[in-house]
Amino acid sequence: MDKLVFLLSEGLKNLWRHKLTAFTSIFSIFLTLTVAGSLIIVSQNTDRIIEYLRDKYKIEVFFKQNISNDRIEEIVQEFQKINGVRSTTIITKLDAKKIFKSQFGEDILDIVGYNPFPASCVINLVKRQKEKINIRPIVNKLRKFSEVDEVNYQGRLINRIETAYQSFVKVMVALLSIVIIVSIFIISNTVRLTVYAKKELIKSFELIGATRLFVKAPFIIEGIFHGLIGALLASLFLTGLLEIASSFILSIIGVKISYSFLSLFGFLGGISILISSIGSSRAISQFIK
Amino acid sequence: MIQLDNVSYEYEKGGGVSNVNFALGDDEYAFLIGPTGSGKTTLLRLAYMELLPQVGKVIINKFDSSKIKSKKIPFLRRKIGMVFQNYNLLNDRNLFENIALPLHVMGYQKDEILDKVSESLEEIGLSSKSEHYPNELSGGEQQRACVARALVKDPDIILADEPTGNLDPVTSFELIKLLEEINREGTSILMASHNYNLIKGRGHRIIEIQNGIIRKS
Repeated sequence: MDKLVFLLSEGLKNLWRHKLTAFTSIFSIFLTLTVAGSLIIVSQNTDRIIEYLRDKYKIEVFFKQNISNDRIEEIVQEFQKINGVRSTTIITKLDAKKIFKSQFGEDILDIVGYNPFPASCVINLVKRQKEKINIRPIVNKLRKFSEVDEVNYQGRLINRIETAYQSFVKVMVALLSIVIIVSIFIISNTVRLTVYAKKELIKSFELIGATRLFVKAPFIIEGIFHGLIGALLASLFLTGLLEIASSFILSIIGVKISYSFLSLFGFLGGISILISSIGSSRAISQFIK
Repeated sequence: MIQLDNVSYEYEKGGGVSNVNFALGDDEYAFLIGPTGSGKTTLLRLAYMELLPQVGKVIINKFDSSKIKSKKIPFLRRKIGMVFQNYNLLNDRNLFENIALPLHVMGYQKDEILDKVSESLEEIGLSSKSEHYPNELSGGEQQRACVARALVKDPDIILADEPTGNLDPVTSFELIKLLEEINREGTSILMASHNYNLIKGRGHRIIEIQNGIIRKS
């Protein structure tokens, strides 16, 4: 037990004993994780942005005149079975008349003497889908119903948004992979330099009869502390930045950026602890005979 | 205690020791003398198994260099106290922490560490400087601290590699006397030195090495 306490306290004391090395290591971990954390937050919120935009997609289906409401309900039930359809809302001829009155303040019957509006259905598309939403096959299926008179949709706009989203996702995956690989490289090299600066200490430990594990443990613990502090600082920095920027982002793109300090710290801390401890262990192994 | 049988070790760039045979008994105090580069340090490194013989074997108590596994070497070193010319104290910790380090490695309890380190500091006359860092001590004090660090783990043997190399004659003489006191209490000592004048006439065994070969044992 005393041995464990000693190793833990050695790891902690080394932070103070080697202040400059610790500062350099923590600062480089902080910078690397800040970049990685920013990309993670952006990629997490990309889904929210695309869901927000997809919520606005709608297809309007107008039925031919003289189709009964019962038949329309049957057809709309068939619409719901189409892949990619999330919800449907039926607007009967009567509903359409009411909407006209609410928007223009006049009764259509007083103007033209009859209700010219067709019954229609507003179709909303799925929001949560990683793959590109292809609207054309849905529209084709809708048009196959003989009762359908006209299908209105913003095909070109939706297609542009979906294509841009797919490209963005690919770029983000590539960028995040690169940043994580660079982070691993930077953190493990920082740790290696930290260990290299203490090779005399490692030698002394060996000469007084320390086992490999005993020599390694304080360095690994120190590396974990560096990683944890770096991750904590990066998480605090990013959370603080988002706290300030989120209302600004909300006013510009209409989406509230979601972030959680705990999950961010958990993720960044996990990455840095893993890299620091493996990096320390491997670096020390080079100096232990 | 220590036995070297036909031990040879040659460095890649030349130098080393060749066909060394000698034994050091329990409680024995021996000087290993020879000029710089004669192989004294190599012999000590072979003794604490930082180097393993290319030919022959080194036996220290139950540890045999021809059979030992690398994970067992730390346990051999816990039985050996080492004193170096350049002290090898850790500058980032104070005297107490430096001397306590081997005991932490060996798994001693906190109370025992406190007692043993205090005792060692008293033995070398540095109790009042336990909070001092190595760079706040004189060369002689640092070397005494180095002896205390070797002694605190109750070793069977102390290997000293030119421990007086950086000390003035008076301090060197005091260190020799300190090691003699330790030897009287039952610890074997093998001390390498190139300074024959310092060790002559003290009644201890002298092993002479030249160009990696033992000339007199």
